[in-house]
Formats: sequence, C-alpha cells, structure tokens
Amino acid sequence: MRHVVFLLPALLLLLALPDTRGRYNDDFDDGEDIAEFDDNDFAEFEDVSEDPAVDVEKEPPPRAAPSSTPIEDDEDEATVENEDGQDEFEDADAQDQDMYSKYDNEEFEGYEKTNPSFKDTLIYREVPAHLQNSWESYYMEILMVTGLLAYIMNYIIGKNKNSRLAQAWFNSHRELLESNFALVGDDGTSKEATSTGKLNQENEHIYNLWCSGRVCCEGMLIQLKFLKRQDLLNVLARMMRPACDQVQVKVTLNDEDMDTFVFAVGSRKAMARLQKEMQDLCEFCGDKPKSGAKYGIPESLAILSEMGEVTDGVMDNKMVHYLTSHADKIESIHFSDQFSGPKVMQEEGQPLKLPETKKTLLFTFNVPGMGNTSPKDMDILLPLMNMVIYSIDKVKKLRLNREGKQKADRNRARVEENFLKQTHTQRQEAAQTRREEKKRAEKERIMNEEDPDRQRRLEEAAQRREQKKLEKKQMKMKQIKVKAM
Amino acid sequence: MTANNMADPRRPSKIFRYKPPNTETNPTLEDPTPDYMNLLGMVFSMCGLMLKLKWCAWIAVYCSFISFANSRSSEDTKQMMSSFMLSISAVVMSYLQNPQPMSPPW
Repeated sequence: MRHVVFLLPALLLLLALPDTRGRYNDDFDDGEDIAEFDDNDFAEFEDVSEDPAVDVEKEPPPRAAPSSTPIEDDEDEATVENEDGQDEFEDADAQDQDMYSKYDNEEFEGYEKTNPSFKDTLIYREVPAHLQNSWESYYMEILMVTGLLAYIMNYIIGKNKNSRLAQAWFNSHRELLESNFALVGDDGTSKEATSTGKLNQENEHIYNLWCSGRVCCEGMLIQLKFLKRQDLLNVLARMMRPACDQVQVKVTLNDEDMDTFVFAVGSRKAMARLQKEMQDLCEFCGDKPKSGAKYGIPESLAILSEMGEVTDGVMDNKMVHYLTSHADKIESIHFSDQFSGPKVMQEEGQPLKLPETKKTLLFTFNVPGMGNTSPKDMDILLPLMNMVIYSIDKVKKLRLNREGKQKADRNRARVEENFLKQTHTQRQEAAQTRREEKKRAEKERIMNEEDPDRQRRLEEAAQRREQKKLEKKQMKMKQIKVKAM
Repeated sequence: MTANNMADPRRPSKIFRYKPPNTETNPTLEDPTPDYMNLLGMVFSMCGLMLKLKWCAWIAVYCSFISFANSRSSEDTKQMMSSFMLSISAVVMSYLQNPQPMSPPW
C-alpha cells in the first residue's frame, strides 16, 4: 500500500514533466532539440533560420513566436499557458529578457506587428451605467420619483386644506341658512326632500350647497369655488398669477318674486368682463359701466343698469352700506329677469330660438387673503350672506312704476325682434329643409309600396296635395297685389 | 302663530329639489383639464411604449396624476385607473427593454 502511495506522485510528475520540458526545452538545450520541433511549432520559420550560427539567435524569435501565436489565435488559452509557465519558470523569464536585449530588428522582417501601439493608446471602455453598482447614475429617475412624491404630498395637503375651509364656511353659515331655508343641503339623488345638512363635494376644490323652501325665492345654490390647491401645477401657476377663492351664490326666483329689470354692480374689471360675456347684460345694459360714486359707493365699484330708476330702486341706504363696507370682497352682483347664462357661441350660425331665461340673482364674492386663507377667515363672509338674504327680500318688494315698466317691456320686445330678424333666414332655410324631407319621406313610402294599385293611388293623392298648395300660394299673391294696389 | 309665520321666512311647502346644471347646453361651465390630461397621458404612454422613450413614459405618469387631481367626483374611477396603469406600464416596459438610466437632454 505504501508503495502505491509513493508511486502516485511520481507518476504524476512523470506525466507533467514532458509537457513543461517540451515548451522550454530550447532554453536549456542550445539548439539540439530544435530539429525535433521543426515539423510542428517552428515549421513556419524554417526558411528564416537554416544557418546554425543563427540558431542561437533564432531561439528567442521561435520562443516569442509560439508564445505570440497562441495569443493571436486564442487569448484565453495563451494567458492561462503563460501564467502557468511563469509560475514555474521564473528563471526562464529572466534568461529571456537577457536574450531579448540582443535583438536584431532585422530578425522581425516578415513578422507584422498587429498591435504596434498597443501599449500607447489603451482604451478604457466605460462600463455601461446600468451595470455599475451605483444608484448615482439613475439621478434623473430619482428626480422624477421625487417630483411625483412631492405632487402626491401636495395633493393630500391641498385637499385637506380645501376641505377644512369648506367645513369652516359651512359651520359659520349654518345657523343663518337653517333659519332662512327649510331645506339646507340636497344632492338631488335621495327620494325624499330632506336636508342632508352638509356640503356636496363636486371636486377637490368645488363644494355645492342647495337651499330651498323660503318665501320670495325658488332656491339658492351656493358654490364654494376654492383654488386648486390639490394640483401642484396650479399652485406653481398661482405663484406667477395670484388668484383668490370665490363664493358664488345663485338665487333662482319665481315669476312673481321679481319685476322686469336687469342690474349689475361690482368691481370695474368684473363689470367690463360680464358686459361682454353675459347675454342679458350685453343686450339690455348697452352703456358702459358707470361709476357708483353718485350713490355713495366706492370708486372701485361700477354699475351696469337697464335704466336709472332701477339703480335708484336697488341702491337704498342699507345696500349702499353693505357695498361700502365690503367693497373689497365683492366681485359682482347681478340681478336679472332675463338671465340665460353666458353668451353661447354657435358654430352653425345663431340659435333658432331665444335661450331660456330665468329670474336670477347672482352674487360672486372673493374670499380675502388672496389664496392664503385660513378657516378662521370664513367668518368674515357672514355679513355678505346677510346681504344676500336682504337682497332677496328687497327684490320681491321692488316694483317699477308705470313708465319704467313700459320702458322695460319695450326693451324686451326690441330684443326679441332683433333676434327674430337675425334668425329669419336661418328659420326659413330650416323650414325649407323640413318640407323637403317630408316630400322625400312620402316618395319613399310610395316607392316602398308593393301593391301597384296603392302606389298609383298614393301618387295621385300627393299630386293633388301639391296642386292645392300651388293654388293657395297663387291666391295669396293675388290678394297681396290687390291690397298693395 | 301669524307673527311666527311672518318672522320665519321658511316655507317647507315651497321646497324645490336640486337639479344639477345641464353641462351639455353650457360647455363653458365645465373644466376641460382632466379630460385633456387624460388624453395627453394616453398619447404619451403610447409614444413611450412604441418609440421606447423613457421621458415620454414619465410625462405620461405625471399627466395621469394631474388628471386624477383635477377630476370630478362623478367621473368614472375606472377611466382614471386605466390611464394610470397604462402610464405605469409604459415606464416599466421602457426600463425592462433598456435598463440604462435616462440621459438628461442637456
């Protein structure tokens, strides 16, 4: 057994030795064994070295050649081989270097250097960023995600702030509303008309409240139009262009609750804008907004009115007092019996019939603070709601005298006439098309009739109808001619 | 009794129910932002998916967030969620196809 143990390493050594000796044989032997390797390794250099004197010098190139060819052919193997060789034959390397210094450049004729400047320009390829183990290269993505997180944070904060403001407003106004209206808060979906007692959230920045059940009015819709605090883009835009929260009150009245007049008062900017935008203000209040100084209200407010009597009627002492003390919060106040909303831009020409009108009182108030409102500021709006209630009662009592009423009726008739004239051609065309369509439908019916007899009969009936129409027209023309004469 | 009635302006008999304003007749009342942002988000996410542009996909995510923030309560949440999912899938697909980080335009 011991013999076997000793034999094994000896066997291994014997097997390994020929390999190593075969490669570096030429280092120790001066050239005796070169002839042995002529066929395989050094066959390509046969013509280069036939002189035995050159044999010594030939040793380094063949020595270099086999080491270089493996490199050229297969880098991986060459490196492994070199490493192996280097570990075991460090002495051999030292000897090689001595020999290389005795190189003759002519020895390398015919041997083309494939990488002459290999050592000079060593190109360091960059590792692609996604393979690097660093998060720094993803800084754009991190920025994006941070932006998204900021947006979400702002959404939550903005939503909460708007919600708190709305609740604060409702809490401060609840008592006043509940003492004036039988129904406070209705979303229109429940079967019975019971007060929900809370705001109806339309958006993250718009809250509605419908109140009804009072004398002098049909109902009142209050819209809390807050700034879009939940949208970061809007927040940034507001830094450039400040805006403020608004409270819009729209009171709809029954026919008997209001006389026929159109009136508006508010900030100059708002009046100019409304006069252009609103259908009724455009038609009935043609004059430019007048200053309210005559009635004692601040210069910042302007008045649009159908006639002077209306202004006198509306601007009583209490109203003037309200307007003066809260001028900064009032954006616009609009009383109208012909309210139909903003002017609708029709694409196919003008509408064929007058827009529906409703007797309405519109109030738009600005919440003070220019966006930086706190829930406490909502109490400041309470006097304005008092003004709204007062206005409702006042409008019920306000009646024009005979002259005013006549003037108002004339105005309305004028507007209607203008409208009819403008749409006359359109209405004619519409009537014509309708008639043509009727004829076409009849013809189709006749064509679709399978029974030939019935077809004939229907055709005859249609012909007779047409003849009658022609005769009628001729009669009319004759009558008109006679009358003209 | 009569004094009470006169002082109290409330009339339960005169209650009218709330009718939401008809936005078809008055399109100016509606805020078009959520619809535009929704459409924009879908367009960008399709661009990001087809053209393999990472920045398109990121912008799509932002658009769908903005659309959600501006949306009305009555709007369908399914639409919101679908645009959301589409934009997130655009981002994920762009990175799966090309894990390289986004390069800034400068």
